[in-house]
This record gives sequence, structure tokens and C-alpha cells, in this order.
Amino acid sequence: MTPVQKERWQEQKSIYKRPSSIIQVALVLGLILIPLVPSFRVMDMAVKIMIFSVVVASYDLILGFTGLLSFAHAMFFGVGAYSVALLCYHSGSPHWVHLVLAMIVALAMSVILALILAFFSLRTKAIFFAMLSLALADFFHILGRSWRALTLGEDGVTFTLPGFLNVQGQGWSFLGVNLSPRVLTYYLILLISVTLFILLLRFVKSPVGRVLQAIRDNEQRSTALGFKTFPHQIYSLVFGSSISSMGGFMFALWLRYVDPESVLGVFSMVDYLLMVIIGGLGTMYGSIIGAAFFITVQTWLPDLLRGIAANFPGYEIIQRMADRWMAYFGVMFIVVIMVFPKGIVGTAQKIIRQRLLDAVK
Amino acid sequence: MKKSIIWVCAIGILFIPLIWIKWTPYLVLTTAGLAFGMFLFMVASGMTIIFGLMDILNLAHGALFAIGAYLGGYQILNLLNTLGWVENGTAGQSMVSLLLAISMGAVGGALVGFILERLILRRVYGDHLKQIMITIGVLYVITELIKILWKPTAEPVLVPLSLQGSYDVFDVIIGKFRLVAIIVGVAMFAGIQLVLNRTKLGLIIRAGVENREMVQVAGYNIGRIFTVVFMAGAALAGIGGTMWCIFQQQVTPEIGLDNLIFALIVVIIGGMGSVTGSFLGAIIVGLSFNYAAFLWPKLALGINILIMATILLIRPRGLMGKE
Repeated sequence: MTPVQKERWQEQKSIYKRPSSIIQVALVLGLILIPLVPSFRVMDMAVKIMIFSVVVASYDLILGFTGLLSFAHAMFFGVGAYSVALLCYHSGSPHWVHLVLAMIVALAMSVILALILAFFSLRTKAIFFAMLSLALADFFHILGRSWRALTLGEDGVTFTLPGFLNVQGQGWSFLGVNLSPRVLTYYLILLISVTLFILLLRFVKSPVGRVLQAIRDNEQRSTALGFKTFPHQIYSLVFGSSISSMGGFMFALWLRYVDPESVLGVFSMVDYLLMVIIGGLGTMYGSIIGAAFFITVQTWLPDLLRGIAANFPGYEIIQRMADRWMAYFGVMFIVVIMVFPKGIVGTAQKIIRQRLLDAVK
Repeated sequence: MKKSIIWVCAIGILFIPLIWIKWTPYLVLTTAGLAFGMFLFMVASGMTIIFGLMDILNLAHGALFAIGAYLGGYQILNLLNTLGWVENGTAGQSMVSLLLAISMGAVGGALVGFILERLILRRVYGDHLKQIMITIGVLYVITELIKILWKPTAEPVLVPLSLQGSYDVFDVIIGKFRLVAIIVGVAMFAGIQLVLNRTKLGLIIRAGVENREMVQVAGYNIGRIFTVVFMAGAALAGIGGTMWCIFQQQVTPEIGLDNLIFALIVVIIGGMGSVTGSFLGAIIVGLSFNYAAFLWPKLALGINILIMATILLIRPRGLMGKE
């Protein structure tokens, strides 16, 4: 073994001793044990956190690492969700082939749409990209609402899934433990989302990811060094969008129901933006924290507000304010952008770096 | 020279649908399309002026539009109806109620615009990413606020009596309110051009578009001018909202987002920051939407995106955009 190889081996080994890798392992273990909790609400929350961690991380790739503000991310999510829903619904009795086909369709659609979007808007100004992606996303939203023959319009699509994912099915018995279809779906989603998250981390740390950050920080300098902006932005957009469509795929697997408002709605972009900014832009791990925060609050806030409103039975305005809990998310979103733009992980990283610098001094 | 070629091309394209449509429905569709285009122009003009001078892409413009619709169109007309002016008043009372509604829409839009600019946008000048994120957040919050203050469902809007119905000119049916919309739209375009080209404020605004620092050097308080321009743009959006909801005869809280998308398409087609461009873009979008809805109802949704894509391929910065 040459000294260089030995050095690399040492470095590889030291990665597993860092506190961050211990946290990662603990997180995955915790998620594996979640189905033991006998509450469906907790499991539902865990699944949504996993799915949205992946979706928000892919959004972080586009926004935080590439510096492109895309409003079409929810659209890609919806494309993934609808491809599962429509293939399973229109096939009558779905088979595994349909799921594989849905995955291929979702990926192909998102790659094509991302390429179209990029070719039309990235050649001019970054601001054009935001506007065009908004227009395209709204077009798909309207399409989902009004193309009733295909998407069943605003009623949404309810469908059944094949094999062990079918809730009416038996599930598996394994070493005397009966795993219900719900739990099996949970583990499938856990597997897919962990894989996708690792893929995203690898992408960010790859040479392409490094170049992306260089372009974001100083475009002139990186073009002077010989890196082309346009292809790199396309790589990031296509990759991030495909991951988002896989997020939609998992979402449809879990809910077995999609409707235009929840998966294609333009305003769900505000949710994504809130998650990515609370976690911290350009940090990847921030997306897990952002998603966990958002989903937890989203699950409990309506109950809390209804509880508060119950104390004021006479005032109609308070009842209405309690019903519109989304408004508080909007206010929080504006406040976070204005006073806390680095997010939780970004601020933590800043503090740690400052401490290290002080220690060196 | 180049601009006149664009105008000739645009007028030429106007007659292409005649291949499929007969004269009478064509004229009906054209007036409807022109009126629709004027509504779009009312939203897009404010947006394009704000972008041109302040370099702010204001996605909250849809919210200002919605506030105009609810305050001016819904609230004021309902209020005046209790006096008996709207649904069964005289011609004069109808006109006055329309004027009151429009001015209330404008005032409401301008007030909210003032608060928005002073409280929020002032802090994020020069940062496009933050501006876009914050303004979409504002749109979201105001949409929810409307659901709290009014109702989350669609509400009917009253139409002043003498503006109901339509004229019949040689079998060409022209809605009375469409005619009013065209008049208001053209008047607004003329007014904006007049202010921009003939007044001192317009001179400062045009100078600010060219070079902001030089205007400051010349001794003008650019912050105050920004506020005024933002309020003016917001008032234009408010007027647009009032007119639109009377035309549609209903308001929904999502009115802001739906029209924001149309306005964005118009602004992109026309070229960011150009009022003439957005006037032209609005007419193109309005007409093509109406023709397409008549010929191929399913395609009508996509036609605007299609037109936008084509124009961006030929002129990446829009019809009248600066190179």
C-alpha cells in the first residue's frame, strides 16, 4: 500500500467517527423503528417528513447550490404523483409493470419539461426563469383541473396499488411478525428516500456540484476558468426536477389519492420555499430540519388554533382566523426571509466556523 | 424602423383567423378579445412600470388586483346597491357608481401598495431572489386574508343597470361593459403615456429607468419617487381588479393568482419595463385567447404559453424589450 493510498484509507475511516455520521445512522435507525409506535398519525408524519426532505433537498440543489428560483418544482412533484395515479387508475387492475412504467414516465416527463424550461428561459436573465417557470407550472395546474377525461378534474384520482402495497391485501408475515401493507409501504418509501438523499449528497459533492457552487458565487470567474454556465445549470435543473418527480411518486404511493390542488398547486411552492429557507439554503441537511419543522407544525397547528378559537365562541372573526391557518405560514415565511435568511443549519454552521476560527487564534 | 415592422406584422396576424371564422363572429370575438386585452393591460402596465423603474419583479401585484376587486367591485357596489343606485338606478347613477367603484379600487390598491413598499419591499431592494420570494409570500398572505375578511368561496358582483346588456350593430353583438372596458383601457394607456412623456414626474421616471444614480445626483429623492411609482402601479392594478370582477360578475380569492399569470405572460411578451410593449402584448394575448377559445376550446389554455415561447425564440427579451 502506497503512502497516498494509506492516507486516503485513513481519511475514509475517520469519516465514520465524526459526530455527523453518528447522527445520520441514528436518524435512519429512528425512522426504521417508527412503525412500532402504535399511532397512525406519527407514521404519516414520518413519511411526509421523509418525502419532503428529499423534495426540499432537491429544491435546495436548484435554489441554494445553483441560484435558480424555480416555481415549477411543485409541478414536477405533481407530474410524478399523477403518473402513478393515472397509470394505476386507468389500467383498472394495476400490476407492478405499471409502477415501473409510472417511474419511467415520471422521469422522462420531468427531464423533457426541465429541458424545455431551461432552453427557453436560462439563456437570458435569471428573473425570466422564475417568471417562465411560474407560467408553466400554472399551465399544468390548469391542465390538471380542467382535463377531466384524463385527470378527473378537481375531484382527484383515487386508485389502488398492486401487490403488497394494496391496503386491502394481506401484507407479509415475517418471523411471526405480521407486517401490514401500510408498514411495508413505509419501508419502501424509507428505502427510496434514503437512496435519493444519498444521491443528492453525492451530486452536490461531485465535480459538477463544485462547479455549480463556483458559478453561483462568481459566474464571471468560473466562466473565465473555462466552466460553461448553461450546461451546468441544465444538469442541476434536470437532476433536481427528476428527484422532485420521484418525491411525487412516493407521495402518491403513500396517499393513493392525488388532486390538482395538493400536488400541482402553485401556492405549494410557498411551502417548499419556507421549508428550504427555515432549514438553510445551500446546506442539504437543512432540508430535513425544514421539512420536519414544517410537517410537525402543519399537523398540529390547526388543532391548536381550533382549541384557542373554542375559548372565544362569540367572535366570528376569530373562528375564521383559526380556520385559515395557512395565513400564519405565509406571515412566518415573510418574516423568516427578512430576519433569518440563513436558516437553522446555515446559522449553526456559521457559529461552528466562528468557534473553529477562534480556537485557531 | 424596427418598431414599425413589428406593428405591421401584429396587424397582419390579426386577420389570419378570418380563414376559419366568418366576419360576424370574428368581429364579436375581436371586441371581446380587445376588452380582455384591456383588462390584462390594466394589470400588466403597473407591473412593467414598477419593474422598469425599481427593478422589482412584483408578484404581489396579483394581490393588489384582488384587493381592488374586493374593495371596489364587491364592497362598494354592494353598498351603493342598498341606496338603489346599482341594480335599478338611472344611467347617471350607474355611471357614478362605476366611477366610485373604480376610484375605491384605485385608492385601496394604492394604500396597500404604500404599506407594502414602505414596510417590506424597501428592505430588499437590489436582491431579486428575495424580492420574488417575499412578494409571492405577500400574495399568499393577502389571498388568505381575503378569505378571512370576506368569504373563501366565489361571490356574485353586481353590474350597474345601464352597463348590462349589449348593442347590436349589424348583427355584431357588443357587450356594453366590454365597450366601457376598451375605453377605460385606452384612456389608461394614453394617460400613462402622457404622464411619462409630458410631465416632470414622467421625465424623472424615464431618467430613473436609464440611470438611477444620476437622478439622485441631480438632487431628487429616489426613495420618494419609488413609493409614488409603486403606489401608482398598485392603483392601476386596483382599477384592473375592479373592472375585471364587474366583467366576470363574480369574485374569488384566487382572482389574484389567476390574473398574475396572465400579467406575467403579457409582460414577458411585451418586454420587461415597456408600457407600449405590454399594451401590444395584452392585445395579442387577449385576441388570441378569444380566437383560440372559439376555434379549439381545449387549446385556449396553451395558446398563450405557445405565443410566449414563439416570441421568446425570436426576440428573447420580448417585443419591445431593451437589448
